[in-house]
Amino acid sequence: MLRIEGLSRPFGGVYAVRNVSVDVADGELRGIIGPNGAGKSTLFNLISGHLRPTQGRITLRSERIEGLSAHERARRGIAIVFQGARIFRGMTVRENVMVGAHARTRHGFLDAALRTPLHKREEREIRQSTDAALERVGLADWADRYAEALPLGQQRTMQVARALCGEPALLLLDEPASGLRARERHELARLIEGLRGGGLTIMLIEHDVQFVSNLADRLTVLNLGEILAEGAPEEIRRNDDVITAYLGREPAP
Amino acid sequence: MKRPPRTHRVVAVVAVVTLVLPAVLRESALSVYILLELAAIVTVGVSLLMGYAGQVSLGQAAFYASGANAAALLSLHGFPTGIGLLVAPIVAAVFALIVGIPLLRLRGHHLAFATLATQLIYLSMVGRMHLTGGDIGLQGIPPLTLGPFVLHADRNYAYLAWAALALVVLITHNVMTSRPGRALRALATSEVAAESSGVPVGRYKLAVFALAAGFAGLAGGIYAFYVGYVAPGSFPVLLSFEYVVMAVVGGLGTIEGALVGAALVTVVVQSLNQVATLGGMPSYAPIVLSYAAYSGLLIVAVLFLPQGIVDKERLRALATRWRARWTTPR
Ligand SMILES: Nc1ncnc2c1ncn2[C@@H]1O[C@H](COP(=O)(O)OP(=O)(O)OP(=O)(O)O)[C@@H](O)[C@H]1O
Ligand SMILES: [Mg+2]
Repeated sequence: MLRIEGLSRPFGGVYAVRNVSVDVADGELRGIIGPNGAGKSTLFNLISGHLRPTQGRITLRSERIEGLSAHERARRGIAIVFQGARIFRGMTVRENVMVGAHARTRHGFLDAALRTPLHKREEREIRQSTDAALERVGLADWADRYAEALPLGQQRTMQVARALCGEPALLLLDEPASGLRARERHELARLIEGLRGGGLTIMLIEHDVQFVSNLADRLTVLNLGEILAEGAPEEIRRNDDVITAYLGREPAP
Repeated sequence: MKRPPRTHRVVAVVAVVTLVLPAVLRESALSVYILLELAAIVTVGVSLLMGYAGQVSLGQAAFYASGANAAALLSLHGFPTGIGLLVAPIVAAVFALIVGIPLLRLRGHHLAFATLATQLIYLSMVGRMHLTGGDIGLQGIPPLTLGPFVLHADRNYAYLAWAALALVVLITHNVMTSRPGRALRALATSEVAAESSGVPVGRYKLAVFALAAGFAGLAGGIYAFYVGYVAPGSFPVLLSFEYVVMAVVGGLGTIEGALVGAALVTVVVQSLNQVATLGGMPSYAPIVLSYAAYSGLLIVAVLFLPQGIVDKERLRALATRWRARWTTPR
């Protein structure tokens, strides 16, 4: 599904991501962990196209995409849920989620102005898939509220619904569980499991190692922009380097 | 029996009243009415730009002027006047595309100043060019002829402008309530999130800039045929400010706001004009008073009605209350 080779991106001489190579299989759930400032979000921005790498290649389903802009990558099936709440203010929750369908629909200004059959068909379909996405993340009751009126955790969940509405092939989730209460985290975990069960390829950044370990097929550990370790969750949690760098303590003797 | 939605009834009433008005207004009032309609056409575009797409244009009168010039030039060079009217919005939109490509890299105040500069450059160019008649402008523009109809009477132009305004409102409404409109509203608050939802942000900004300019160009085309001459002096920078004031006073991001704002500001400024041209007033009174009116209205709106007169939230609350009243069983 996704192949990253030798990807680098410095900020003012300091590498936020350095020579990173990752292979994510079709249908895999890949967890990304690492301490603050390790370059996790930067890696996601490089994949989604909000940042350009200075070196390296990104291949999505055998197509090179590192030169494409973010909206072109969205059209190729990459969806991202940002770490911060990036919502569309002044729009309802439903409208926010409807925007997510932009990537896979195509009617434009002229179709809209003339209310062509294409417009009607797509609008009907967008409305349906939006309601389905809201239902799925448990925000159906909030659909007609303004997005900025939602608590932070729900704003994050709304972004998940927005991403799902685009029916992506690869979903990037940047700490979706932060700001959620225990029960909501549990529901989110179930949602992610369900998505993976449906065959969606997911990359998940998460600070809570327990949380990702339960969900992920494999973990990639980043530290200071470089890959420190990669493997099945059990392996990673036994890895001495990871324990030292990430948990910030000496491995148990 | 099912009632038609409240907005439909309001639209129907407004349509009927505004269609009857030209038949009953006196001549001087009729010309104010026509200018109001033309201003409303431009303001709907400005409101679309500012309220939905988050862009500020202080040069909208340049697009208005380019439409007027295009229509005037074509019909003075022997083209059918209908063609002139059709080409007016197209020329304005193309003009916007050309200047928009470099300008839309700017935001906020920078974009505002750049659009203002665009208008100043446009006016000084038109004022120097032989083709556009220099400072004197273009005169003797023939009346608009649409098929068998020759539009001589002011009343005809009132109806023409009405139809154009209705078209502009319809287009705006249709666009804003569908995929491209949601994308525009989205990119106004988060370009990054809009991009990652697949919205080509740059292209959409350019498209809405051109669309708003097209509206202004259409109004300019009608203006040229209605007045019969166009000169650089007909399109001062003050006119561009006027559109922004209308959009802000009425409430950005709503069609109703643009219409109410255009109506209110036109009526206030025209009333002051009456006062300013009374005997004994200095010759500069009209211009001073209109500047005062624009700034006064703008300040009042920003201080006391930040959402404009047509406050969506307030109206929505009102509408829910009414709906609740009607749907509760008695
Ligand atoms: N736009 C930017 N400009 C300059 N430096 C940046 C920028 N974005 C990230 N960095 C730097 O790159 C490094 C990696 O940042 P990044 O946000 O990718 O870390 P992260 O692993 O996501 O951290 P966190 O867990 O806190 O979210 C940090 O040192 C950060 O300061
Ligand atoms: Mg991060």
